[in-house]
Amino acid sequence: MNTLLWIGFVADVILVVAVNAALFYAVRRFRSERGAAPRQLLSGRGLQFRVAAVLTIFAALLFVLGVVFTGKTRETPSTGEAGLAAAKTEPLKIKATGQQWVWRYDYPNGSFSYYKLVVPAATAIELELVSTDVVHTWNVNDLAPKADAVPGKTHTVLFSSEDEGVYEGEASTLSGQSYAAMRTAVEVVSPQEYEEFVKTEKSEIEAAQERVVGLIENGEVP
Amino acid sequence: MTQSAAPELVAHGYHDRRRPRWIELATSADHKDLGQILICGALGFLFIAAMQLILMRLQLLVPENTFLSPVGFNRMLSLYGATSIFFFALPLALGFFSYAAPLQVGARGTALPRLGQIGVAFWVAGAVILYAGFLFTPSEAGVNPLAPLSESAFLSNNGVDAWAAATGLATLGFVLLAINLVSTLRMMRAPGMAWRRVPLFAWAATVSSWLMVVIGPVFLAALTMLMIDRNYDGIFFADGSGGAPLLWQHLSWIFFTGAYMLLLVFAFGAIGEVFATFARKPLFNRPVTMAALAAIAVVGTLAWMQNMLTAPIGIGWMYFAMLMSLALIVPFGLVIFNLIATIAGGTLRMRAPALFAIGAVSAISIGLAAELEQSLVAAGWHLHNTTDATAATHFALIGGAVLGGFAALYYWFPKMTGRTMGELMARFSFWAIVVGLVLGFVPLFLAGAEKGQVADAYKYFSGSGLTAYNVIATIGVVVLFVGLLLTILNAIFSRANGAPAGHDAWGGDTLEWFASSPPEPHNFDVLPDVRSPRPLRDIREAIGHRSRRSEAAARESQPVA
Repeated sequence: MNTLLWIGFVADVILVVAVNAALFYAVRRFRSERGAAPRQLLSGRGLQFRVAAVLTIFAALLFVLGVVFTGKTRETPSTGEAGLAAAKTEPLKIKATGQQWVWRYDYPNGSFSYYKLVVPAATAIELELVSTDVVHTWNVNDLAPKADAVPGKTHTVLFSSEDEGVYEGEASTLSGQSYAAMRTAVEVVSPQEYEEFVKTEKSEIEAAQERVVGLIENGEVP
Repeated sequence: MTQSAAPELVAHGYHDRRRPRWIELATSADHKDLGQILICGALGFLFIAAMQLILMRLQLLVPENTFLSPVGFNRMLSLYGATSIFFFALPLALGFFSYAAPLQVGARGTALPRLGQIGVAFWVAGAVILYAGFLFTPSEAGVNPLAPLSESAFLSNNGVDAWAAATGLATLGFVLLAINLVSTLRMMRAPGMAWRRVPLFAWAATVSSWLMVVIGPVFLAALTMLMIDRNYDGIFFADGSGGAPLLWQHLSWIFFTGAYMLLLVFAFGAIGEVFATFARKPLFNRPVTMAALAAIAVVGTLAWMQNMLTAPIGIGWMYFAMLMSLALIVPFGLVIFNLIATIAGGTLRMRAPALFAIGAVSAISIGLAAELEQSLVAAGWHLHNTTDATAATHFALIGGAVLGGFAALYYWFPKMTGRTMGELMARFSFWAIVVGLVLGFVPLFLAGAEKGQVADAYKYFSGSGLTAYNVIATIGVVVLFVGLLLTILNAIFSRANGAPAGHDAWGGDTLEWFASSPPEPHNFDVLPDVRSPRPLRDIREAIGHRSRRSEAAARESQPVA
């Protein structure tokens, strides 16, 4: 992804410098002088064709580069040797549900977490984005492309990370009052730690649910 | 004898039967009056929009600021979007089109004057509704209120309804004005004014009006669906019951992208006139420039899905949007090349319109280049909805509608009022706008592209390294506001006190400079036969020719000694 950003940046600089250099040269060079008569130049057909050809080639080149590097970004990442064993053949599927104004992550073993997503390092992750209310954009810029969670649709994002650590993210489509506070974090940990995390999470959730059920059965208010 | 003749003259006099000026304006269907109402209104709303931008920037001055509440910020954002697009930029463009284009093609009026009048009335009604809504609850749904956030399930107060009614009435007004312009420019051109001789700005008016006739109804349809959804249990944008949230995105982005292109076509049309007049040269390669403006309108609008790169649409559609966006390099490049080539070889007089036009080309080039990076799909995934996108849009549209619009204002002000705007104040205004634009939005490019600061958010967090960028941006927006204010004040003062201008203030080549300043209600007493794209220059040359010939004849006939 960074490659295409750099390609775009270089193209921007070329265009901006070309336009502004030509503009300011023309303005400085052709300021009115006393007695100078303007040349009544109407057209230069050959020149116009050359300019159009250069621009067309430039645009076509950018398009090809855009398709090539976008294709690279979209490639399914492969799970490495150090990655999660269960995700060797196909990516680890995690469901991310956007709601006003928090993200909920559902892991394959039935456990879930709010706000923070924990994923194993060096493993291909397939994040399935859904929304329960309005459009939310899942945006962890250092890790993966942005993608919208639109109600009624499932949108998948593929990513993997070799580096363990915490990646911060913010929502990036206006979703109402607390939009700016709708943040998320992705913690990339080793596969063992990930296994442990989902296991503890699951048992803790089950314990909590059992406690609530028990309280209700005893006639107490939880 | 003399005493009895005078009352008779008065009784039949045209001027003395006129009502007060404001009644004349409010009931006029004359394109010049309609144009001036739109332009004056647009400049007023520019002031309001700039104030709203400053309030939002003050909220973002420091991290986790509490100057505005989250809801207050969202309301300000929604009002700012509606005001700057529907009540400043588009009416400014259509106002200048309505005012100048019929004059430029030598029309003595418009084809459907009452339609234009109704259009302006709808626009005024829209403005009243938007700001009457401000008294109770404005919309909180943002610049483009994406469904389902704009549905009544999430925003149940009347804000979004007021927003939809206001923008809908304004858009309907624009469509009616556009129909009037399309038919006028088609049917009422002066004898000899073939399309190949039509001034570039009048051509831009034709292209823009056609564009508005196409995109306006699309947006009106979307707004109607939104109103049905909100008030009559509709399901157009509701998922799960046959509707689709993405439908709103498609329909609204077609309109907003088309409006963006319309504003750039407007700006390039005005810049072309200004460069040709002030360099005393014909427009370089006008057929190609005209074709390129039409291509921008068509291809640019087809790139609407560039705004939806993060939405769940197929990758093929994203490549289509990228193809259309990149294809725009060719027409935009050719127009800019031809505009610069119009200066080359000329003798450029650096009066205020030329200064603003040069600034406009420069700012638009930066904004469009930044948009280009956004359109490369994988780069767009990174930059979408960051402040980088905000800054790109603002550079292109402040370049087009503010700098380009002010170039048009300084250029045609002598025609509208018979007086020239102050040159010194124009220079202060120009440099304040340029400095404000650079300080106000270049930091946002950096904050968006490097740090990923998200757009439209009411706060950012400390420790994110964004404070310096946002402090500079806030200062820049205040400087920008000062620049805008100077030109608005300049226009107000110059209306009564500016240096008197003749019918042809700048030595222009097009027919509007043939009418008096301000023009009579019927525009022209007589019209020349148009034989070239530069009819006034033809007349000046013919006069020069004739006077040289008569001088020579006089010399010859003089007795020697």
